[in-house]
Amino acid sequence: MAEYSRLAKGHFTTNGGLNVVNLPFQPDYVEFLNLTVYTTPTATQVAKAYWDVQMGQGAALYETVTVTTLALVPAYSASGGISTFGAGLLFQYGAQKQIIGATAANPIVFNVTAHGYVVGDIVMFEGLYQSATTGMPQISGMPFVISAVGDADHFSVVWPGAGGNYTALSGSPTGAYVKKVLYPFLYSPGVSFIEAITTGTTTTVVTTAPNNFVVGQQVGFHIPTSWGTTQLNENSNLIIPGSPVYGYVISVTNSTTFVVNINSTGYTAFNTNQTVAAVKAGLSFPQVVAVGDVNTGGVAISSGSVLYPSPVVNGVSTINGPAISGAFVNNTRQGFTVGSVIAPVASQVVYYRAFLHDLSA
Amino acid sequence: MSQITNTGNLGPMILQSLAPAMLYVPTPTMNNILICDKVSMPTNGGTTCRFMRPRALVPPTIQLGNSGIDPPAQVPQRDIIDAQMAFFGTGCVINEQVILQDQEGVLAWVSERLAVAMRQAEDLILRDYIVSAASEINAGGGSNNDNPTNLGLSDFSLVTTTLDTNNAYKFMSGIAGEDRFGTGPIRNSYFMLSSTELQTDFDSLVGQGVINQANYPNNTSALPSEWGSVFNVRILTSSEAPVARNSSANNNDVYYNAVVGKQAVTHINQDGYSMNLIYRDPYYSGMLAQNATLAVKFAQAQAITQDTAIRNLLCTSLYAGNII
Repeated sequence: MAEYSRLAKGHFTTNGGLNVVNLPFQPDYVEFLNLTVYTTPTATQVAKAYWDVQMGQGAALYETVTVTTLALVPAYSASGGISTFGAGLLFQYGAQKQIIGATAANPIVFNVTAHGYVVGDIVMFEGLYQSATTGMPQISGMPFVISAVGDADHFSVVWPGAGGNYTALSGSPTGAYVKKVLYPFLYSPGVSFIEAITTGTTTTVVTTAPNNFVVGQQVGFHIPTSWGTTQLNENSNLIIPGSPVYGYVISVTNSTTFVVNINSTGYTAFNTNQTVAAVKAGLSFPQVVAVGDVNTGGVAISSGSVLYPSPVVNGVSTINGPAISGAFVNNTRQGFTVGSVIAPVASQVVYYRAFLHDLSA
Repeated sequence: MSQITNTGNLGPMILQSLAPAMLYVPTPTMNNILICDKVSMPTNGGTTCRFMRPRALVPPTIQLGNSGIDPPAQVPQRDIIDAQMAFFGTGCVINEQVILQDQEGVLAWVSERLAVAMRQAEDLILRDYIVSAASEINAGGGSNNDNPTNLGLSDFSLVTTTLDTNNAYKFMSGIAGEDRFGTGPIRNSYFMLSSTELQTDFDSLVGQGVINQANYPNNTSALPSEWGSVFNVRILTSSEAPVARNSSANNNDVYYNAVVGKQAVTHINQDGYSMNLIYRDPYYSGMLAQNATLAVKFAQAQAITQDTAIRNLLCTSLYAGNII
């Protein structure tokens, strides 16, 4: 009988990359069975896996289906297996990786040896100088979502890198790095950085990373003069001087694109073609912030959902209870992750059991 | 040969004696809670705390004329801000043998540590929330050619001018000058929450408008963590202020300095459910009643309630790389 141990079981559908399982604790032992592989045995696929905290983070013992007999063969990996996580504090990053090169195009394609990223990861860049006066340091310091992964050494982010002030990177420039933001949305919604603005009777805004806005979200713009479209700014009210100008999100196109109900016809065009020289003088970025909402209800139910769903952040439910849609919510969490070595194929159903033992030796 | 009795052949039976006072635990100053408005959410009030702020009406600057016809009515509007309550807690399971046999009052000091952990969690949550939700201004007034640069005087002026232009309210009244050597008057001020790692940068600007709180005409209103003042900012420092390591354009650490006015951030507690220290006697554990538990739990939500009154001033440092 274990009085203080924690036990959990469940299932999830694999995404082909890093699968996150939220739990009320960080386990010291995890095992899983791949229902899809058991149902339809396929050569080289992983049928079952085990992990104990003593093996080290990211490790796993696992069994794969053999090519000829479909028997299970034991294997071990020190990485790409199971890790625990505690997403409670910001400013936690993955390893800093040298950038070998980058295209001056939209999207910008980065060449980084064995980057290990998947679509949807959030990354930040540093450096990006090709020389003292060239390169693309204009985007250093902003978070970006990875929009595509070409291969193990190439990934893309959406940004108008074809502007005349951007030049390609090559030859592993000194100080040019990328790193993954491990826990990018612990509090939501928040500040987002703007990649594009389409003006008109309504205004369409694209952000560099998921903004987590919902329909009914009230937003405000903080756009430095050099980026144009400053008429959207909160402090641009010509009718009631001093009263901030806000807009409401009227539709959400995807995780990075939303439409706001501000008539921006005739506003100055948005300009991402910032100079390298401006970076060295302290270049502030165009931003949009959540300032409130006009909603009265929570997240709508859907097939298979609970009756009172939790707020969704970056496509995943938070672990807290229901809230007004668009409210400021906490998204801190913990649990374990399943890596791509033991869950390399998407859309497979995996059953897991996780334990935190009273007695562990 | 004389027979000298020494501690080699007659040592004390008990070798150690516990010093009468515990050593202090290095603990950061917790500044984020200081600048927050405080609101208590009532019990049975749902999951979400809602704030309402009326919008300004259009000032009637157009004269009525002599037509005798009233102008059209205005429709009052309001802004709504929602924040979801969340619950936090941690605890320790302590075997009765520890309580019975340990020489010092283990329950007492564990209780104290749990209380501090709870207080620190409250502050760290606010810290990370402010980083996530407030917009940023990159310092450009420094000299290190980074993005953001190190702090220059113009950066302090720029950020306070930004808040003034957005009609934020300052926290502190000014301090009038007095006839004391080395002091200077202090302006009415916003608060800036900064890292202790920037203090050398501040020191390097003393005499150029930056005043340490020791040089206030009188520092009775200075807070314990207050480093000093510059222009319309009074600087509070903490070692747990937010820093993004190796994140600037030149791969230096980036410091987040939240410059805030009144009502910028609101801390919401759950009425009757905040700051609970819970002790459960071993009687409530298994059949042999072996283990006591000590735990804390609290409920908290937070919201930026005046986004016009807060900016994160990001900067790098000229000196922090030498802090070890």
